[in-house]
Amino acid sequence: MPSSTAPAPSDRWLQLSERLYRRLLLVYPLTFRRAFGAEMAQTFRACCRAAVRESGTAGLLRLWGSVCYDLMTSAVIEHIRAWIALFKRLSGLEKELHMITVPFHLDVAQLTDIGRKRARNEDNMTSVVPTDRQALAQKGALFVVADGLGGHDRGEEASRLAVNTISDVYYNSPVEDTGDALAQAVRAANTVVCDLSTQQEHAEEKATGTTCVTAVLRGDTVYVANVGDSRAYIVRAGHIQQITHDHSWVADQVRLGALTEEQARTHEKRNQIYRCLGIKPEVEIDLFTETVQDGDALVLCTDGLSSLVTDAEIAEIVEQYNPQESVKRLVERANEQGGTDNITAVVARVSLA
Amino acid sequence: MTRKEREPEAFLPLTPAVFHILLALADRERHGYGIMQEIAARTGGTMRMGPGTLYGSIKRMLADGLIEESGQRPDPELDDERRRYYRLTELGQRVLRAEALRLDRLLRIAQAKHVLPQPGTEIGGA
Repeated sequence: MPSSTAPAPSDRWLQLSERLYRRLLLVYPLTFRRAFGAEMAQTFRACCRAAVRESGTAGLLRLWGSVCYDLMTSAVIEHIRAWIALFKRLSGLEKELHMITVPFHLDVAQLTDIGRKRARNEDNMTSVVPTDRQALAQKGALFVVADGLGGHDRGEEASRLAVNTISDVYYNSPVEDTGDALAQAVRAANTVVCDLSTQQEHAEEKATGTTCVTAVLRGDTVYVANVGDSRAYIVRAGHIQQITHDHSWVADQVRLGALTEEQARTHEKRNQIYRCLGIKPEVEIDLFTETVQDGDALVLCTDGLSSLVTDAEIAEIVEQYNPQESVKRLVERANEQGGTDNITAVVARVSLA
Repeated sequence: MTRKEREPEAFLPLTPAVFHILLALADRERHGYGIMQEIAARTGGTMRMGPGTLYGSIKRMLADGLIEESGQRPDPELDDERRRYYRLTELGQRVLRAEALRLDRLLRIAQAKHVLPQPGTEIGGA
């Protein structure tokens, strides 16, 4: 079989086939694509691999024959069904008041690592993707990354409290507006961490607090709340965009043009932040909203990653690998660069189509 | 989701795709590709379902409450990608049983009319 002696050509055909199939999925109605497009592409990929394993490129061609027929017939059926459903709704035959938008599909991975220089890991993180489709449609999926600071094990506790409080408050909030509910949750976390700070026994102890970056993905929108120098990025088609602004002295200097990105990375004041949770009873929260597209990856991380791995490297890794592999490689890369701080990364890939 | 409490008989007869998917899930939960593999293996490759037919059926079966999602995890036999698994609901089990009984009754008629040999007798080769 040619496939065993020269795997390269069939590999190329495999990749080409996958890309073509993703394009062809556009023949299905939008709601159907949103619900099952990613899974169909995944299943198709598995079929391709099996076909190539069995009979090389010829097997792939045979597969395409049956898949084309399947695409055409099932797409027609789905469109007809979508029209019938629309007709029923419009004519009042079926009163479904719930959102018709079927939630997106998410692939999420998270990883935290102590790094190579620190005695304890003061980072914390969480990812919540409700399994109930209605909850997912109404509240979305939530991701939090927090980098604690403080003496003894206070930093660790501050970041853990922040992460837990935010997810509890957000999902139990009656507030309908996503941005408002998110801000409310972050404020609640600030109060909880402030309470922890006041328990501090000695005034000379390091202040207790935590950075906190939170993202909610709902429909095709991501809402981000930030306090401190942990970051949220969107990686789209190989390009990376930082959503948040660091509340740090060096970041301000970069914005003012007084320091370059490279200088900021190694500057002695790079760890100085002027805003975090747990210091003052009132906290100013940055809120951002961005529209996400099919295939976008949302990346949340602490400065243990972003100060050692460049944006371009993050983009390259996230673009090339699935979230599970990406977080592993991101942490590995930061450790290779010295692992000077705790390293935390959350990667969530969105499939709308 | 508003789940209408329907009698299993109200779903009959099932389309071949739905019947095969229910059968594939009868012994254990599977992901989409796992369902395709099981169907192909059980039918000796005569019934091959494409992704469009498969997920079109899955969509309606989810809406009808015949199957449900049972979580996402990688399949160690395939790769490290996370896959969505499906399993039968109680209603799905009852519908599957009702359809199997319906087919069994049809089969008996075929046997009584000597279209098929009586159970127990060998099927003669042509």
